[in-house]
Amino acid sequence: MMDRYTKLQLVGIYASIVVFLIFILLPFFEMFMASLRPLEHLFRSPYQFWSDDFSFQAYRDMWKTVPLLGRYILNSVFISAMVTGLTMILVIPAAYAYARLDFPFKNASLALFLGVNMFTGAVLLIPLYRVLSSLGLLNSYWAMIVPGVAFLIPTGIWLLRSYLEKIPLELEEAAFMDGASRLYTLRRVVLPLAVPGLIVVGVAVFIGSYAQQFLFAITFNQTREYQPLPAGLFEFIGYQSVTWNEMMAAALTGVLPVMIIFLYLQKYLVAGLTAGAVKE
Amino acid sequence: MATLDLKSIGKSFGDAQVLHDIELSINDKEFIVFVGPSGCGKSTLLRIIAGLEEATTGSLLIDGDDVSDAHPIDRGISMVFQSYALYPHLSVFENIAFPLRVAKLSKSVLEDKVQRAAEILQLTDKLNLKPGQLSGGQRQRVAIGRSIVREPKIFLFDEPLSNLDAALRGDMRVELSQLHRDLRATMIYVTHDQVEAMTMADRIVVLNQGRVEQFGTPMELYHHPATKFVAAFIGQPNMNFLPATVTDVGDAGLCVQVDAGPALVLPVESAGVSAGDRVEVGIRPEDITQGAGGLNINVSVVERLGGISITYGTTDGGTRLCAALGGTADIREDQKAELKLEPKDCHVFDSAGKVLRRRQAPVLVE
Repeated sequence: MMDRYTKLQLVGIYASIVVFLIFILLPFFEMFMASLRPLEHLFRSPYQFWSDDFSFQAYRDMWKTVPLLGRYILNSVFISAMVTGLTMILVIPAAYAYARLDFPFKNASLALFLGVNMFTGAVLLIPLYRVLSSLGLLNSYWAMIVPGVAFLIPTGIWLLRSYLEKIPLELEEAAFMDGASRLYTLRRVVLPLAVPGLIVVGVAVFIGSYAQQFLFAITFNQTREYQPLPAGLFEFIGYQSVTWNEMMAAALTGVLPVMIIFLYLQKYLVAGLTAGAVKE
Repeated sequence: MATLDLKSIGKSFGDAQVLHDIELSINDKEFIVFVGPSGCGKSTLLRIIAGLEEATTGSLLIDGDDVSDAHPIDRGISMVFQSYALYPHLSVFENIAFPLRVAKLSKSVLEDKVQRAAEILQLTDKLNLKPGQLSGGQRQRVAIGRSIVREPKIFLFDEPLSNLDAALRGDMRVELSQLHRDLRATMIYVTHDQVEAMTMADRIVVLNQGRVEQFGTPMELYHHPATKFVAAFIGQPNMNFLPATVTDVGDAGLCVQVDAGPALVLPVESAGVSAGDRVEVGIRPEDITQGAGGLNINVSVVERLGGISITYGTTDGGTRLCAALGGTADIREDQKAELKLEPKDCHVFDSAGKVLRRRQAPVLVE
């Protein structure tokens, strides 16, 4: 066996994993702890890890403090879903073309896509504002969806292209011999075999869009009803005080649906990958 | 009816020319095998016929019509790929039905045709399985089923048996020959295995470095190889080549002195050679007998297969030699043996590798 470790190595490996996980999960844990404490105990000194007055009161109060909270959560999911859907519609044919067809400036344009990815949305906010303004898309869902799609297409193409390239060319040649058009082959042969890859790309795009909507929302959208959760969380910052515990509770509640979807898809992913191991 | 004519087909990939001026005329209902070592261009030629690859020069005629630019469907051609190229996510039924779905046939006709193909290939009880659940031979049959279901005029096979084990390969060989007889269609089959070529073909095309080395029936290739390359490629074990010098050209044939061996008078057409020329005498292992023939070898290995003993050794001149002697031949490793060549069994190749045609070759059984 190649992967046999000594006791010491195993201890080292697990210790590293623990450190890594703590680094990643501690903020979530602290969010959760903060959401359970009453507001007046949040800034208590010295810090108390455990106290008897923990309660889920913040999870009830947050809906009253910010009446539109439910709407914000739905907006977040809706915007991300739209971004994912549109991105996939655009990325699938593009990635297939990059994987299989020969056309002028193929590699150059592919490199360009990667180049675009190096800019963060923040650098382009002002030009984007002008573009969206002249298209009349400001203060609508589209103001958050269109830039989201634009910024996620390059990643999508790069991810999916490498997956599609792994599908045996002979399958497509066989379909061609049998008279199938490119699109028919794409629909009936390539995409069904690429399902695990499509899920990977879909999840990556969904998460990417969830993460980036805050920036677009606060810049391009003033309409309260359209705000996604990250922007909506601002409403917990009042004139007098910040209800940190309710804000944490709301944030956790907002992340929850995404986490559930992701956990579910992760299981599906593993199954999909083994079922997709097709050739011989 | 499906005849296929290739007119000076050439193919280059960049600077590399892989096919030179291929001229072939294939008759209706013939089973043609393209055979040759890897890299000889046989698969490329097949892909050009299929329409997957475009010829750089020349044209392709089916039933006399130029189809060089036609789609495979319009050519009436189907192909079985080396890897079978089955769609892993579709059932056997859907795999076979795929070309019919593309052609948008009605449900009843489609089911009928798939059913019939499945019966021919004994797949009726496997129609609901996925390709992953089938054995190699069954997958092979599904791939064939997909190609026969739309009743093309010409079938192409690209090394279809190379992924199967030896026993199954033998069975499938027989099944394919049977299928050819049942379907009465033109078939073109690519292989690097000369046994497959010899057993299945009506006629064989031997390709070497992008050129047609010889095109003829298996027995023609065996008894009248046109070049040294064909002689060496066809026949198992391979033909022996003994260097020799021409001593005289007479009416009875060519007189040669085999290096460190006997002087022989060989009944071959001797135009173009004269005394003093260097030639090579080709002799098949199965045509060599033990006895006083003046050819001494040092035996190195004897493989006794029961019926025959395949004997390997080197002549006194240092040439490697293989002889298929009798099963009980009195021959031992690390000892000398004397072998005999019959002049009528000998092939002669000039220094360019071209054959001097034999006068007394066996009558061909067709």
